[in-house]
Amino acid sequence: MPFERPKELLKPVKRRFIFLTFVIAVLVELIPLPAGSTRWLPDLIGLLLLYWVINQPRRVNIGSAFLLGLVADAATAGLFGQHALAYSITSYLALRQQRQLVMFNLGQQALAVLALMLANQTIMVVARMITGAAFVGWSYFLPPLVGALLWPLLTKLLLLPYRQHSV
Amino acid sequence: MDFANNPSFIRQGPHPAVRLALCVLLSIALLIGDSRYGLMEHVREALSVALYPVQRAVNVPFAGARHVIDFFTAQAELKTENDTLKSQRLQMSAQLARLATVEREYRELRQLNELKSSRAEGGQLAEVLYTGRDPFSYKLIIDKGADAQISPGQPVIDSQGLIGQVTRVQPLTAEVTLIIDKNHMVPVMIERTGARAILYGYGGGVEVRYLPNHADVQEKDLLVTSGIDDLYPAGLPVARIGKIERNTGAAFARLSTSVVGGVQESRFVLVLNPKQHVPAAPPPPPDAAPPRRTE
Repeated sequence: MPFERPKELLKPVKRRFIFLTFVIAVLVELIPLPAGSTRWLPDLIGLLLLYWVINQPRRVNIGSAFLLGLVADAATAGLFGQHALAYSITSYLALRQQRQLVMFNLGQQALAVLALMLANQTIMVVARMITGAAFVGWSYFLPPLVGALLWPLLTKLLLLPYRQHSV
Repeated sequence: MDFANNPSFIRQGPHPAVRLALCVLLSIALLIGDSRYGLMEHVREALSVALYPVQRAVNVPFAGARHVIDFFTAQAELKTENDTLKSQRLQMSAQLARLATVEREYRELRQLNELKSSRAEGGQLAEVLYTGRDPFSYKLIIDKGADAQISPGQPVIDSQGLIGQVTRVQPLTAEVTLIIDKNHMVPVMIERTGARAILYGYGGGVEVRYLPNHADVQEKDLLVTSGIDDLYPAGLPVARIGKIERNTGAAFARLSTSVVGGVQESRFVLVLNPKQHVPAAPPPPPDAAPPRRTE
């Protein structure tokens, strides 16, 4: 396909690697951090999910997002289904625009990711408020911003093992 | 191989929208079940149990680091605390030593005070400044001298008994010759019998000389001043008889005696006023020897 051009030639991504990155993300989520840092730390699982959905839509899709959301729910001890719902919808949105997103450069991708993560947070807030929690404040929408800023770094990092140095 | 850039018409499985609907439905069911009915509690528990080892594993390095940090801070804290405690202990022990000395002095002073009030002559309290430097003579320097109307010949006692006599008076200090000094003599009597004798110092101790073999003397007899001179008031304890050796070959009994007073130990002494109502000495006969001074 002429418009699905990769910017560089990459090795095929292994399923094992995707799984490993998700495991690492969950582990990072489990790290005990000083109180208050959760206010601005980005949702690494969500970012990673978006990355794989955008770059490997055949491997990671809505079903994986749902399962991952369940794991995130368990890890963050939130309400069950909250992350699952948000991740499912967000990854669906990403999947719909996947072919455009993959063409974007990193800055444009970061903007799109920002929108997607904001949607993610909105869904979670709405889900929590419908189930009877109080609004936690606008700082809840700070992590997507940080996540979007980190997006280029994450992309470069995840591409590292798949750069072809020798032909 | 599966490639990211595979054309979408090869894609298998249900349409994304269907998947989405399914997942959203499931999620909402979970949400409602969890929030309204608490259905997911068991699942949550099971999941948390499954996640627990992972959580622990992630925690281990952090907990270890915190532990190490705690260890070092605790070490430093303990060290400073130990240092403070040590210096405090030093100060305390110094204070304690001073307290013990002060208590001892207080006891001595009390006893002396009682003695002073019990004796009719009265006296002056003096503190021992230092002992004489000469190892062959047994002398004390006290802190009262001519300024306190001390005069040579005044007896010096401590709370237990006689310890000496003022022999030399300086403007601010006075020198006391102890009864254990060589050539110092004290007229004494055995308290039990009233037998008189003379107690000689021999440099480091006292002894009763020239007591006949048949004299009525027993061990632990107390020797007190007899008062037959114009120096010592009668009845001051001086020494106690130790061992008695009666040797038939010798003319006199050998008595070992020990001083009653704290000759070398007292820190405060009482300088007794000289006898005041001494009857006038009879005029010496022209051929008589000059009056004896027990010095």
